[in-house]
Amino acid sequence: MSGLPLDGIRVLDFSQVYAGPTCTRMLADLGADVIKVEGLTRMDITRNFVMPENSSEDDYWNKAGYFLLRNGGKRSLTLDLSEENGGTGADIVKRLVAECDIIAESFTPRVMDKFGLGYDSLTKIKPDIIMISLSGYGQDGPWRDFSGYGMGLEPAAGLSSITGYAGGDPLRTGISFTDPYSGIVGAGAVLSALHYRRRTGKGQYIDLSEQEAAMPVVGYALMDYAMNNREPRRIGNRSHWYAPQGCYPCSGTDNWLVLTVADDDEWRAFCEATGNPEWASDERFADLASRREHHDALDELIAGWTREQDQYEAMHLLQKAGVTAAAVLNPKQALLDPHLRERGFFDRVETEQGPRPVPHQVGAKFSAFEMRSAQPAPKLGEHNREVLQGLLGMSEEELSGLEESKVIGDMPAPAVPLPVMRMFVQWPLVSYEQMGALGGMEKDYRKQLGIEPPAAE
Amino acid sequence: MTDSALDGLRVIDLSQGIAGPYCARLLADLGAEVIKVEPPEGDFTRRLGPFPGDVPDPEKSGLFIHLNGNKQSVTLDLDSHEGRAVLRRLLASADVLIESETPGRMAELGLDFGDISGTCPKLVYCSVTPFGQTGPYAQFRGNSLTCMALSGLMYVTGDPDKEPLATGGEPADYFGGLHAWVSVLAALEHRAETGAGQHIDVSCLEALGSADEYNTTMYAWLGAIRRRFYSRHHFPAYPSEIFPCRDGHIVVIGGATGFPLMMAILLEQPELEEHPLFQNLWLRTLQWEEFEKILRPYLMEHDWLDLLTRAQELRVPFAAVMSPQTLFESDHLAERRFFGEIDQPGVGRLPAIGTVFRMSETPLASGPAPALGADSAEVPEAAE
Repeated sequence: MSGLPLDGIRVLDFSQVYAGPTCTRMLADLGADVIKVEGLTRMDITRNFVMPENSSEDDYWNKAGYFLLRNGGKRSLTLDLSEENGGTGADIVKRLVAECDIIAESFTPRVMDKFGLGYDSLTKIKPDIIMISLSGYGQDGPWRDFSGYGMGLEPAAGLSSITGYAGGDPLRTGISFTDPYSGIVGAGAVLSALHYRRRTGKGQYIDLSEQEAAMPVVGYALMDYAMNNREPRRIGNRSHWYAPQGCYPCSGTDNWLVLTVADDDEWRAFCEATGNPEWASDERFADLASRREHHDALDELIAGWTREQDQYEAMHLLQKAGVTAAAVLNPKQALLDPHLRERGFFDRVETEQGPRPVPHQVGAKFSAFEMRSAQPAPKLGEHNREVLQGLLGMSEEELSGLEESKVIGDMPAPAVPLPVMRMFVQWPLVSYEQMGALGGMEKDYRKQLGIEPPAAE
Repeated sequence: MTDSALDGLRVIDLSQGIAGPYCARLLADLGAEVIKVEPPEGDFTRRLGPFPGDVPDPEKSGLFIHLNGNKQSVTLDLDSHEGRAVLRRLLASADVLIESETPGRMAELGLDFGDISGTCPKLVYCSVTPFGQTGPYAQFRGNSLTCMALSGLMYVTGDPDKEPLATGGEPADYFGGLHAWVSVLAALEHRAETGAGQHIDVSCLEALGSADEYNTTMYAWLGAIRRRFYSRHHFPAYPSEIFPCRDGHIVVIGGATGFPLMMAILLEQPELEEHPLFQNLWLRTLQWEEFEKILRPYLMEHDWLDLLTRAQELRVPFAAVMSPQTLFESDHLAERRFFGEIDQPGVGRLPAIGTVFRMSETPLASGPAPALGADSAEVPEAAE
């Protein structure tokens, strides 16, 4: 095993929330030194999301699971970029840029310019700098100033128009889909720019619009419109190509199985494996076209079989017979799934509140190096001194002055969550459960996950 | 002539389907020379469509064209000794191999990383499969749907009283393709430092699983098992949901400062500012059905673009629910020149969905997809 591909690469990261931090977390996992810049009055809002045991006690902003997931392994620097301090923060940024290779930011367009930190200004400090802006709708065009929340961008990219139950409204994935998606696109864009810089010595500017980055996923429907002038129909869990395909109920509560029968061989294998060889000779299901035509009737028969089955056992039974099938895992089951466990998909991160499993940010294993596993997230301002002394050689006196004038610090303002933020810091879980938005609250979850806290606690 | 980011790079794309080919297409749009090696009957997406007029034709599959622009096509039968010999010759001059065979199949052919790396020590050899090369499900059959199911994302998508719902468009494959692309670029950086190639094992399931926003975290930090709940974003930011309006749908997002004043102005009912459901986020989250009784009738009397523009002017972050038609007709995307155009032989002019980010020095470029085996004679190593 040798060093990591981005050893020696330094990233100054102004991005917040989800897409930008995903991009820079990937760079960090590949070896880059990522310095995350936050303001004390505007720290990354995700420092407020998913507290251990849902408690907002003490320095809650240093404990959030949501923040850790995308910011583990980075260094934290707080800087007030506003004019109130005579632009001291922006001046420090300019000095840091000289020591960096990559600048990442996710403000709405023109904010960096307002700070005097636009790409053109930065190239005067470091001509080969690579800068990436991740925004909702890109740096130009009539929608450039729209505020782009991740939860709105999956529909804006067209994905929700092809997601939904048959005949129903468009629906959204249970995550802010375009955020992680465009974060990865951003990481690849930066790596491409690094490749070019290595060859030519030139840096460049990357304008990434989240709406655009995710649009290739809609490729089939876009091509169908271009070729046939046809808008998509939402088809639930069925397939444009194969039949049957669907999501079927299994024994127990809220347990499901998905399956796809790709061709006639798989259809016969499916009928044999489920103990219904007579289905194979039913002329309603003789070939793909007829199975498609009689899909509703087929669904009823299949559900009649699956209802009696355990979802995991049915998956193994069908896969053994050569049929594409999988159990629909809930988040807890995914954490415990034997395949993901054996592959080491979940890293174990030691936090002050005990170990926690955290999903990998890159779905790949490399034979020549091992990517950094998930790390604890930096505390707010944890690396102020280390960064400013180490990179800029600042004196103790300068640092104290910056602390006094609140350009840097380690305490957000305000330190106590505002009443409106209370619900964000401490989620109303019991009410969510009553609404039906949670499938359960388990007090012994640490035991189930094998992450009991240290005995002293 | 404009430079391209990956000029001089040679990629052999042995993969089929969506994930591997999308990875190779990104490399091609960035300037790499990509030779797609197809079996004699072609990549199976040539048979999937959509097709113009719904008439199947392996040279007119919309999905294939979308995923394979800018590539050359060479056909090889890897079950034959000659086919494998030609592939080895192609690999000798290549920087990257992308393959998507079932784990173990490349070894059976004498073409796995160990077999190749002796003669091609600098080759970045990338395998893209649904579940990865190892582990209990390695030999399972998979597609985007099975990855959605096993990742936990499908369970949290859809309506609470219905079955879990897959996201459209085969997202696990695209996620897998992106992770393969990033991994190949990372391996090329590593090679630039060390001179050594390597094997990359990409799992589409894990690529998709890495997108988990906070669902496994909710269990690992709180013991809470999240379920699907309509289109709602879960943490207390209600509303953040897709609603029908007069001419389509709109994403209503309250945002940080939208309530109560801005939303009351937007709904043209100033008295709503004092309404308890507007004043109190907590109440609104719990009594969302009551809140919808106020919201829905107004939305049904207004058009999405009007709602969207007025909301954004008030800094309330509504978003559009775009469809292929509205995307193609979007002024915004037109001004950004997002959709490229390709002239696809036999089909005509088609949109290219390739400018997924804009680079100031090395812009991405789209191109038509190759006919099956079109370049067999052109590629010297593949010529008979």
